[in-house]
Amino acid sequence: MIEERLVLKKTAIEKINELAAALMEMGTLIAPVQEAVGANFKTIENPQEVSLDFYNTVLSPKFVFFPQTENFLSYQIAKPFTNAEPVELAITPVFLFGVRPCDTRSFAILDRHFEASSIVDPYWRKRRENATIFGYAFALDTPPDNADFYSMLGIHAADTEGSDIFMVRNDGELLLKSITSKGEQLLSELTLLQETSSDDENYYTEYLARGREYKTRTLCLEQETAAGKFEEIFYNNDFWGKTASACLSCGICTFVCPTCYCFDICDETMFKKGTRRRVWDSCMFTDFTLEASGHNPRTNVFQRLRQKVCHKYSYSPRKYDVISCVGCGRCVRSCPVNIDIYSIVSSALKI
Amino acid sequence: MNGKSCCGDIETAGDKMTGFHEIEERLKSEAFRLLQAGEVSVVLAYGKGTDERHPVPFAALTTADVENIVFNEHCTHNMARYLLRYPSGTKIAVALKGVDSRAVVVLIQEGKINRDNLVILGIPTNSMRNQQNGQIIDARTTCGIANPVLFDILLGEEVHEATVASPYDVLAPYEAMDEDARWNFWKTELDRCIRCYACRKACPMCYCDPCFIDVTKPRWANKSPQLAGNLMYHLTRFQHLAGRCVDCGECSRVCPVAIPLYLFHKKVAKDCEEMFQQTAGMRIEDKPVIVDFRVEDSDKILE
Repeated sequence: MIEERLVLKKTAIEKINELAAALMEMGTLIAPVQEAVGANFKTIENPQEVSLDFYNTVLSPKFVFFPQTENFLSYQIAKPFTNAEPVELAITPVFLFGVRPCDTRSFAILDRHFEASSIVDPYWRKRRENATIFGYAFALDTPPDNADFYSMLGIHAADTEGSDIFMVRNDGELLLKSITSKGEQLLSELTLLQETSSDDENYYTEYLARGREYKTRTLCLEQETAAGKFEEIFYNNDFWGKTASACLSCGICTFVCPTCYCFDICDETMFKKGTRRRVWDSCMFTDFTLEASGHNPRTNVFQRLRQKVCHKYSYSPRKYDVISCVGCGRCVRSCPVNIDIYSIVSSALKI
Repeated sequence: MNGKSCCGDIETAGDKMTGFHEIEERLKSEAFRLLQAGEVSVVLAYGKGTDERHPVPFAALTTADVENIVFNEHCTHNMARYLLRYPSGTKIAVALKGVDSRAVVVLIQEGKINRDNLVILGIPTNSMRNQQNGQIIDARTTCGIANPVLFDILLGEEVHEATVASPYDVLAPYEAMDEDARWNFWKTELDRCIRCYACRKACPMCYCDPCFIDVTKPRWANKSPQLAGNLMYHLTRFQHLAGRCVDCGECSRVCPVAIPLYLFHKKVAKDCEEMFQQTAGMRIEDKPVIVDFRVEDSDKILE
């Protein structure tokens, strides 16, 4: 169990650039910046870029631990032997700054996949160990986005789970509370942070309590019921056909999703030099299940959408004892045709 | 084609043209009539989504489905995209806005759909809004055509307000760039691509099965979203759409990393107009530019 630590510090919002600069001295800072499409996590080169004025990022922060392209080995095709060398993972301490509670939960869900069995993914593990996560509570004075449904998954707007340090905004100030010992140590090292008063303590405690009451759209969802329901309606082609009638079968939903982890391993060669890489794949792509024989067990769009939904709400609970969806709403916001997984789940439960 | 700015005019044009609510009512009544009479087995239109701003492309199969149909300024999707999902011979009614109808014209020209199996419910409008940024969709990011070029039933008054600038005006700053600057511009834009393939999946003209990018023998491009593979994917797709793209702008609206793909498509369409005097999907009797060889055709493309 994570022990609640006691250190609470603060800084003025207008001085987060100074905090950013201090973190950049200590390692790599990955934080939200404003881009043409909205906010996104980026490796910060200029501390002025860091912005905490965002609702949530377009792309999820999973790429910090599970990059879209991961190089495994490099090779040179030659005779009589092809030379291959493993690509060493260059790791520096990473500070992942400004992660919303639904996204900090997603890391714990992916931990189960990448580490739960006896085989631990070393790339994921190393990156996780080297990161310090600054969680960031949602603003409670504005309504949630219509797409969000993290309340359904039991995540609060100011949920500290998965954070090393948790940040709460208080007007022009940012309160930083240590959650883990790693976070506690870092907060004590960041000497530019100010000490807090008992008023700040109270505000923080009250904010967390209010976060529990703050609700996105939600419905009563038991993990076991959901898993059973999707098993029951697997062959209900009428339901899945209707659900997928608008789906274009592009991969946006899976690429923006904080819990989708499917990948492909490719040898990408150019002029006899190449790299063996792990690259994100998507169950929504037609070639995802294409077999070497040419047979494709999922030829229809509805089969692919069904796979995605059932994986999250049925297979994952059965295998890892957790629903692999955090209700961040990204897939709903990004879907070109506005397919809403919350509606799919709520319609399924009514069958 | 005039060059004046259009934004100011559009806000007031809304009063003169048929309102969204009236169009929705007519869409519903026509859908109900066609399904009840058995004239079509499916009506492709828009249905209720998460909220008013997020309608969903919707296939009404029975008269009971009709009540779910909506039409508002956020119904931007090009329903021509869905026509090829149905077995050939299926009688389909489809709601098409101005530019959407151009896509259907190309699909008919290319022999992908049979005009006789279609009932086109034309929607004249120039007030659609981009769901992502709320901006009016006009000739800066699409062809800007307000009235369907092909229809059986028109669901509102034709829009005649001259609100549309040339769809190619937006190209001016890019055409002014020298070769290096243009190359750098596209390298920067396409470097961002995450290869979710939403652009090709939303495109009514991208119907190849399999798409060249999914072919594994040979693999035409790397799967990793890095510049070389991204260029291979996008530049090939741009070429495949030469003379076929109807400038509906859907590829750019669906892009999660906001790559202005429409700019490239517009440039190719403009070249096509200049060299072959033909605009894709404007007249059903035209032959597709790519397959139509005329002795008098421009040789500029070879220069």
